[in-house]
Amino acid sequence: MSGAARSVSLALGGSLVAILVLAAIAGPLIVRADPNAIDLANSLAAPSAGHPFGCDQLGRDVLARVLWGARLSLFVAIVVVIASAAIGTLIGVSAGLASERIDNLIMRGVDIVLAFPGILLAIALAAILGPGIRDLVIALVAMGWTGYARIVRGEVLTLREREYVVAARTLGARPPRLVLRHLLPGVAGPLAVQATFGIGGIIGAEAALSFLGLGVMPPTPSWGNMLDAGRAFLLVAPHLTTAPGLAIGISILGFNLMGDGIAQLIGIRN
Amino acid sequence: MIGYFARRLAAIVPVAIGVATLTFLIIHIVPGDPVTAMLGESAAPADIVGMRHRLGLDRPILVQYGAFLKGLAEGDLGQSIVYRRPVSRIIAERYPATLELAAAGMLVALVVALPLGFIAGSRPGGAGDIASMGFAIAGISIPHIYLGPLLMILFSLDLRWLPLTGRGGLAHLLLPAITLGTALAAILARMLRQSLVAVRESDYIRTAVSKGLTARAALIRHGLRNSLTSVVTLVGLQIGGLLSGALITEVIFSWPGIGRLLISAIGLRDYPLVEGCVLAFAMTYVVVNLLTDVVYGLIDPRVRYA
Amino acid sequence: MKLQKVTTNLLRAAGALRIAAVCVAFIACGTPRAIPPGTIQVDLEDTPTSTDPRFSTSAASSRVNELIFSSLVRPAGSGAFVGQLAESFERRGDTQIVFHLRHGVRFSDGKELTAGDVKYTFDSILDPKLNSPKRGALQHLKSIDAPDLYTIVMTTDRPYAPAAELGSQAIVPAATPPPAISEQIAPPGAGPFRMVSFSRDESVVLERNPYFPAAPNSPQKIVFKIVPDPTVRALELIEGVCDLSENNIQPEVLPSLATKPQLSIIKSAGTGYRYIAFNFRHDPRLRDLRVRRAIAYSIDRRAIVNSMMRGTARIASGLLAPENWAYSADVSTYPYDPAKARELLEQAGYPVLKNGMRNLRLVFKTTPEQLRLATALQAMLKDVGIELDIRSNEFATFYDDTLRGNFDLVSMYWVGVNDPNHYYMIFDSKMTPPRGYNRGYYSNPEMDRLLESAQITFDFDDRRKLYARVQQIAADDLPYVSLWWQDNVVVLNRSLQGFVPYPNGSLKSLATVTLTSPAGAEQAN
Repeated sequence: MSGAARSVSLALGGSLVAILVLAAIAGPLIVRADPNAIDLANSLAAPSAGHPFGCDQLGRDVLARVLWGARLSLFVAIVVVIASAAIGTLIGVSAGLASERIDNLIMRGVDIVLAFPGILLAIALAAILGPGIRDLVIALVAMGWTGYARIVRGEVLTLREREYVVAARTLGARPPRLVLRHLLPGVAGPLAVQATFGIGGIIGAEAALSFLGLGVMPPTPSWGNMLDAGRAFLLVAPHLTTAPGLAIGISILGFNLMGDGIAQLIGIRN
Repeated sequence: MIGYFARRLAAIVPVAIGVATLTFLIIHIVPGDPVTAMLGESAAPADIVGMRHRLGLDRPILVQYGAFLKGLAEGDLGQSIVYRRPVSRIIAERYPATLELAAAGMLVALVVALPLGFIAGSRPGGAGDIASMGFAIAGISIPHIYLGPLLMILFSLDLRWLPLTGRGGLAHLLLPAITLGTALAAILARMLRQSLVAVRESDYIRTAVSKGLTARAALIRHGLRNSLTSVVTLVGLQIGGLLSGALITEVIFSWPGIGRLLISAIGLRDYPLVEGCVLAFAMTYVVVNLLTDVVYGLIDPRVRYA
Repeated sequence: MKLQKVTTNLLRAAGALRIAAVCVAFIACGTPRAIPPGTIQVDLEDTPTSTDPRFSTSAASSRVNELIFSSLVRPAGSGAFVGQLAESFERRGDTQIVFHLRHGVRFSDGKELTAGDVKYTFDSILDPKLNSPKRGALQHLKSIDAPDLYTIVMTTDRPYAPAAELGSQAIVPAATPPPAISEQIAPPGAGPFRMVSFSRDESVVLERNPYFPAAPNSPQKIVFKIVPDPTVRALELIEGVCDLSENNIQPEVLPSLATKPQLSIIKSAGTGYRYIAFNFRHDPRLRDLRVRRAIAYSIDRRAIVNSMMRGTARIASGLLAPENWAYSADVSTYPYDPAKARELLEQAGYPVLKNGMRNLRLVFKTTPEQLRLATALQAMLKDVGIELDIRSNEFATFYDDTLRGNFDLVSMYWVGVNDPNHYYMIFDSKMTPPRGYNRGYYSNPEMDRLLESAQITFDFDDRRKLYARVQQIAADDLPYVSLWWQDNVVVLNRSLQGFVPYPNGSLKSLATVTLTSPAGAEQAN
């Protein structure tokens, strides 16, 4: 692939993400409809000039809800990815640099979390913390960090046998310094790819939790709970899911292109 | 290598104990208890107390945990509170359905992902790449909860090709398997593409091409094997996601597996049954991961099991 | 050259597609749906729990059990009881009620149903060792005797006017052991069907009781299939695999189903009652009648019923529907009046703050199924300045919260209310959990006195007057805000004729419907 193509994916992905962020910030200022104002007479109304994406089951404007939902869904996705990646990296690096015994211990811990069905955790957190955004973020991070940990550990194990790292170590570089200087740049590529893919997974998981009644509480709109609510009316009002579905698709496309671009940029540097 | 697998097999034990303990902790912290869930509101208070005693739920939590671990060590998962039958028997009846669904979902994912990923990765930027990328984005954008009914409307109502729900022959399996496998197919296809693109630019493919092989032939001969290892690793990583997806898919398609069983057991606070289902999920995850390691070794004999 | 390659690829792809299509078609044809004539499928949203009527309490269990078992008496539409297995029944003094059984009634195993079976059924529920969840409902039944094969005498521990309701327990044959496992098929009953298989969370299959007279062309076999997803239930009706669904299709989908030529929809008045309960225990704010009234005035029931529910409910004035013999229309009602609600809130000391809301934030506990109703209520209360904090949990957590009084407001549903004595269970101050259903800890001495004297008042008109007063107080005091009585909505295949819905949602008509063409024949080709 040519260098131009690389910058194209990065530019395209970056601008899609930028558009989404802009829509999340500015959209609600432009589309003035109240996303939570119900208008029961307009229940499941088809798209019209006043409501370009129609109205949901309570007569709320779907466009306004998608724009407001962008704030929540993007916020949750980004927070969860950053927190998961941070925790996962920390644990993965520790495991990768630690002695074999500690590494084993950590990896069994990772296995336990990976093998554990997330739904049980989500139900428990919803019951203990009360359902809502906090519960959603904690549940998703608690299940999400393991993938990063495994990737980072694997990369660290490979990298630490590389000549330049071995050389640095023999020159007396201390482990934290080693990690910062040599290891992290090496794992950044795989991490970026995992993270940008992760965002799609998180939005899907949010929809699944809504399906189980554990997502964001009303009236707050999110793409996941809109998709779940709209699903019930697939037969009579498919337009309910068009807008959130498109929004999810565009965001995933954007983040993926961005991830590609980042991965390739890092690939060149190495 | 045999030593390596022996160690891996031995490592299943701490994972099982860990998962079981985590489950025990969570299910006992969550409000609600099996006796009120089962007896409902017209029960006499004395009956609630009596039943709680009979089930041993009035013992201190640590004593209950001890008894549970002891049972586990003896391979006894206990009696389901709701079904009043051994948990292991109920799981044994329901597990094949889940395994069938998960395996079919995985098969769908591989059958779709391998050609798509290869087409995309062998000529990045081409029409095939853009099309399969489009599929991957769509596939990962549509959650199971939405894809399931969508497929039902298309294939059962409009085309009348496939039955809506339930478990039966191959015809019953197709829609749930596609529902379950699509997201994974998207992820795998993307990963394969990514890795093929990287391999394409590596020196040995360039060398092969310069020696007269077409790029595609060189990729197949030299690159594919390399890329498949990363696909296999990813499959292992995604098993957890696949099983969670199976849980949702089972609810939508009225599929009688342990996913639905787990959801209903959680609802009824049937502690032993929840434990059993979670352990079944966890063991599936662990064993499939072990298998992916074996496959990894077969694809790439250079891998040393250390 | 290049073009040629593309065409070849396309052709190859088309060929592959065709092969795939043939495969799919082959698979589809390879498994034709073999539906024997006379079989109908009914979709349930929930699995029946126990198949033994002495132990089952869930709504799904009763839907199925009503087709298998008979009881001494059954509720008539008015909430009064009429004989079923009992030819007649009468009171003997203040504490006894005597039932005279019909002769020649047979269980599905051919044995005659006699007083011994009835006595056995009740005795096993009362046996403390068996922990039957129904023992609480029989708390006033002191003893049950069978002086001869066709007579049953029940003695209560005190004068007890609603005693006839005790006879509504389904009867199993004498010596039926308690079910050893929960998936055991139901014991023989004296109803129109018998159970032939039960698989929890999957299906229940019933076949005709050979000893129960069947109308010609009525169903020989009923398959109850458990389909948890509402969208999928609607799809099953359209596709034709499901023949009948009751009260479990989303109202918004009904107009679309009505356009399908093979489906018809029967809507009839129901007695299921939806309400909002207040918690009086912890929070002084809800003890203020003005706040409760403000909430009642701020809910636009008409709009919710007309749009969200597509007209499938009647605005309720209280627990008892107009069909009930004790119903009284002479009660306060709370038509939608946000201005009045605001005025009441001002009076109660909740002025509007800068953000347009009042300092009144209430926790509303609910389940995922009721989230939309919760959202509508939230928006309506917000309109008068009350903030409703919705917390949805799966049912077991929700139920635990309601039993512990862990809520400010909660919306629930009563179904199958017959005798007005139900008011005693929900509003008497002694009936707080775990004894009864007074989960909001409502307490009013006058209400207690009325409810307790109604239990020992045998004169029909006197009882009716007492309950009229009870209904007035309930409407004035507002321990519950009444929302609506939900209609029974049955969506069924046109091949089923003569289905008559019961006000309480019973599916007993399945025994008497006629099948014009074998159900399911259409898609078998």
